[in-house]
Amino acid sequence: MIFNILFYTFSSVLLASSFMVITAQNAVYSVLFLVLSFLSAASLLFLLKCEFLSLVFILIYVGAIAILFLFVVMMLDLKTPNRSENNLRYFPFGFIIGSVFLTEIILVIAETFKTNPYKNSVLTNFYVNWYDKIDVFTEIQSIGQVVYTQYVLQFLVAGNVLLLATLAAVVLTINTSVKSNNKTQIIFKQLSRNYKNVLIKM
Amino acid sequence: MLFKEIVIFSELFLGISIIYLVMHCTFLAVQNKYPLIQTSVLYLSVLSIFFSVYLVFNEPLNVLELSCLNNTFINDYTSFLSKLIIGNLSVFCLLMMQSYILNQKINNFEYFLLILFAILGLFLLCSANDFLTAYLAIELQSLSFYVLAAFKKNSTFSVDAGIKYFILGAFASSMFLFGSSLLYGVTGTVNFDDFRILFMGDFPKNNFIEDVDLAINILDTSKITIDFIEDLLESLECKKVLDTSEILSELLSYKIDKLVDIFYKPGDFPKNSIENVDLAINILDTSKITIDFIEDLLESLECKECKKVLNTSEILSELLSYEIDELVDIYKPGDFPKNSIIEDVDLAINLLDTSKITIDFIEYLLESLECKKVLNTSEILSELLSYEIDELVDIYKPETVNFYSDNINLIKFALVFILIGLFFKITVAPFHIWAPDVYEGSPTSSTFFFSVVPKLAIFVLLLRIFYYSFFSFVDSWRHFVVLVVIFSIIVGSFGGLEQRKLKSLLVYSTISHMGYSLISFSAGTFESLQMLLSYLIVYSFSGLCVWSIFLVTNLKNNYFQKQNKDLTDLVLLGKSNYMLAIFFTTVLFSIAGFPPMIGFLVKMGIFLTAMESSMYFVALISILCSVIGTFYYIRLIKILYFEKVLVGKLYYPINFQNSVLITFLFFLLLFLFVNPTLLFLISHKFSLLVFI
Repeated sequence: MIFNILFYTFSSVLLASSFMVITAQNAVYSVLFLVLSFLSAASLLFLLKCEFLSLVFILIYVGAIAILFLFVVMMLDLKTPNRSENNLRYFPFGFIIGSVFLTEIILVIAETFKTNPYKNSVLTNFYVNWYDKIDVFTEIQSIGQVVYTQYVLQFLVAGNVLLLATLAAVVLTINTSVKSNNKTQIIFKQLSRNYKNVLIKM
Repeated sequence: MLFKEIVIFSELFLGISIIYLVMHCTFLAVQNKYPLIQTSVLYLSVLSIFFSVYLVFNEPLNVLELSCLNNTFINDYTSFLSKLIIGNLSVFCLLMMQSYILNQKINNFEYFLLILFAILGLFLLCSANDFLTAYLAIELQSLSFYVLAAFKKNSTFSVDAGIKYFILGAFASSMFLFGSSLLYGVTGTVNFDDFRILFMGDFPKNNFIEDVDLAINILDTSKITIDFIEDLLESLECKKVLDTSEILSELLSYKIDKLVDIFYKPGDFPKNSIENVDLAINILDTSKITIDFIEDLLESLECKECKKVLNTSEILSELLSYEIDELVDIYKPGDFPKNSIIEDVDLAINLLDTSKITIDFIEYLLESLECKKVLNTSEILSELLSYEIDELVDIYKPETVNFYSDNINLIKFALVFILIGLFFKITVAPFHIWAPDVYEGSPTSSTFFFSVVPKLAIFVLLLRIFYYSFFSFVDSWRHFVVLVVIFSIIVGSFGGLEQRKLKSLLVYSTISHMGYSLISFSAGTFESLQMLLSYLIVYSFSGLCVWSIFLVTNLKNNYFQKQNKDLTDLVLLGKSNYMLAIFFTTVLFSIAGFPPMIGFLVKMGIFLTAMESSMYFVALISILCSVIGTFYYIRLIKILYFEKVLVGKLYYPINFQNSVLITFLFFLLLFLFVNPTLLFLISHKFSLLVFI
C-alpha cells in the first residue's frame, strides 16, 4: 500500500518535473527540474530494490552531470526570451521523434510484460519468497561482499587511481611561486646595508 | 590471509610507500611554504623502488603459489623478470633526470610521485592475470603519463602534448575496455586462465569456421565408419577383400567430400525450421551413396569369383529393392502426402528406417558370408551406426552451429579491439600519429621515462593475452599483427629520414623498433618469444643510454631552456667531449644493428625467427627497411665527428653521478656484446615459462 503510494508519488513527480524541464522559460529552472527528475527516478529505483543503481544515479547524474550543466548555464548567462510564439515550430520534428520512442516503448512492453495467468484464480499475488524473510542481502551489501573479498586488489588499485587523479588535478592547477619564500625583497634590509657590514668575519 | 598472499608483497610495499610519500611531502610543503624538496623526494622514491625490486628479487616463485587473490594476480617468472628489468630501468631514469629537473626548474615534488604511480601500474600490469586488473593497471600508468607530459605548465607545447596524449590514450583505453567487455559477454569470464582452458585445443584453425566445424565433425564420424568397416573386413578374414577396402575408403572419402560440399553451401544451409529437412535430405543422399557403394562392394566381390556371394548379392539387391519398395509402400498411407517428402516427421522416420535398412543389410551380408564369429561384431556395429546417426543429427542442429560460429567471430572482433588498444600504447605505425607530437612537446625527462620503461610491461600483457590465453586464435590475429609490423617498420624507417630534431628522430626509431619486436611477436614460436624479450631488453638499455646522453649534453648558450635538441646541437661532440662521443657512437651502432654489437645479434635473431616461421616477405621488407633506417643513425655519427664546422658547441660539465651511470650503461652493452649468453639464457627461460 505504502509502496504503491510512494511509487505513484515519485512517478508523478518525475513526469511533472520532466515536463517542466522542457517548458520552463528560465534555463536555470529547467536544469533544476532536471535534477529533481533525476532524484525522483533514483528514488523509484530505490523502491524497486536497485539501491546501488539509484545511488550511482544520484552520484553521477545529480552530483556531476547536472551540476556541470548548471555551471555551464550560469556561465553562459542566457537571457530568457519569450519563446511562446515559436513553440509550434518544433512540433513536427518533436512529434516524429516522440512517436518513434512511443512505439518502441509500446513494442517493448507488449513483448516483455505478459498478463498474469493467475490473475483470476485464487493464487493471485500469493507468491512469498520465504528465504527473503529469513536472510536477505541488499544489493549494496552483496556488491560490497564481492568487492572487499574477491576483488580487494582491484578495489585498492582503483583507489590508487583516484588518488592519482586528485594529485594530478592539484599539480596541474596549483600555483606555487617559490619566490615568495626565498627571494623576497626586504626593503629596510637593503636600505640599511652599507659597505662595512657586508663582509662577515668568520 | 594477507600473509598467505605474500606474492603481491612488492606491489603492496610500493603502494603504501607512495601513500606515505604523498603525505610526507604534502605536509612538508604546506607547512613550510613550498620548499624545494625535489632532490630528497627523488632519492626517497629511488629507495622505495629499490626496496620493492629487492622484494621481487627475493620471491621464491613456487609453482603452486604463483597466483593469488582468486587467480587475478600471477607472479611467475615472466612477471618476475619483467619487474626486475622495469625497476632497474626506472632507477636509472630517475637518477639521470635529476640534473635535468634541477636545471629546468621543475620544482614540484609531485613529479616523482607520478613516476612512482606509473611504476606501480607497470608492476601490476606485469603480473595481471585478468582483464580487470590489466585495465586498472593500464589506467594507473597512463594517467600518470598524461600528467607527466603536461607537467611544464608554462610551455604551450607541453600542455598540448598532455591533452593529445590524454585524448588518444583514453580512446585506446576505451578500445581495450570494449574488447574485453565483448569477451566477457561471450564467455562470461575475464580471467586469462579461464580463457586458456576454454580455448585450449586447435579449435578454429581457418577463417570459415562454421563449415570447418561441420567438416571436422563429419571427419570424426567418418573415421568411425572407416574404422568400423576396416574392422569388419579384418574380422571377416577375407584377404582378397582388403583391396576392396582401399576402394571403400576412397569411396568413403569421396562421400565425405561430397558431404562437405553439400554442407559448405552457406546459402541454402541455415533457414529457420527447414534446416532439419535439408540436413535430413543430405543424410538421405549419403545413405544412398552407401547403398551404392555396398552394391559396388558386392560387385567387386563378385569379380573375385566368390560364387556363393554372387547369389547372396543378388538376393541382397533384390531384398534391398524389395525393402525400399516396401518402405515406400508403408510410408504411402492415405494421410501422408506421397510426393512431398519435405515434412520433418516423414524425413526423420525415413532416416531412421534407412539406417535400420543398412544395418539389416550388413547383418544379412555377414550372415550370407557365413562367418558366425562376426555376428557379434555386427551387433556392435549396428549399435555404433545408430549411435553415429543420432550423434550426426544432434551435431547438425543448425542453431548450435550458428551460435558457435557467431561467438567465435565475436571473440575475434574483440581480440582485434584489444590489439588496437594496446598498439596505441606501444606506438606502432597506424596508431603512432600522437607519438611525435607528444614526445616532442613533453619535458625531456618525461619523454625519457615513457619511451624507455613501459613498453616491456605492455608486451608482457600482450604475451599473456595472445600467447597464454588466446593462442588457438593465432591464425586470425597474426595477419593483423603482420600488417601492422610492415607498416610500422616502413613508417619508422622513412619517417626518420626527414627529421631535424633529435627527439622526433628517436620517436621514429622507437616506432621501427616496436615493429621489429612485433615481428617476433607474430611469429608464434618459442625462439621468437626468446628473441622478443632479448630485443626488448637491449632496446630498453640502449634507449636508456641514448636518452641519458641527450639529457646530459646541456648547452651553455641555451637561453630559452628549450626542451628539444636539433641534430646540430651535437656538432663536433667528438672534439669537445671525446669519451661521450665514443659512447654515443657505440650505442648508435648497436641500435642500428651493426655487426659486432649486441643490437646486431638480437636483430638477426628476430629475422631468423621470422624466416623460421616462413615469413620471408616480412623478413625481406624489414631487412631492407632496416638498411634504410641505418642512414639516420649514421648521419648522427657524421654530425658528431665529421662536420665541416670550425667551432663546436659548449656544454655544461657532467656531474659525477651521471657520468658513472652512463659509463655503467655503456659497459653493460659492451658486456652483452662480449657475452650475450646471459641475455639469451634469461630470455630462453622466460620464453619457456610464458606458457605455464
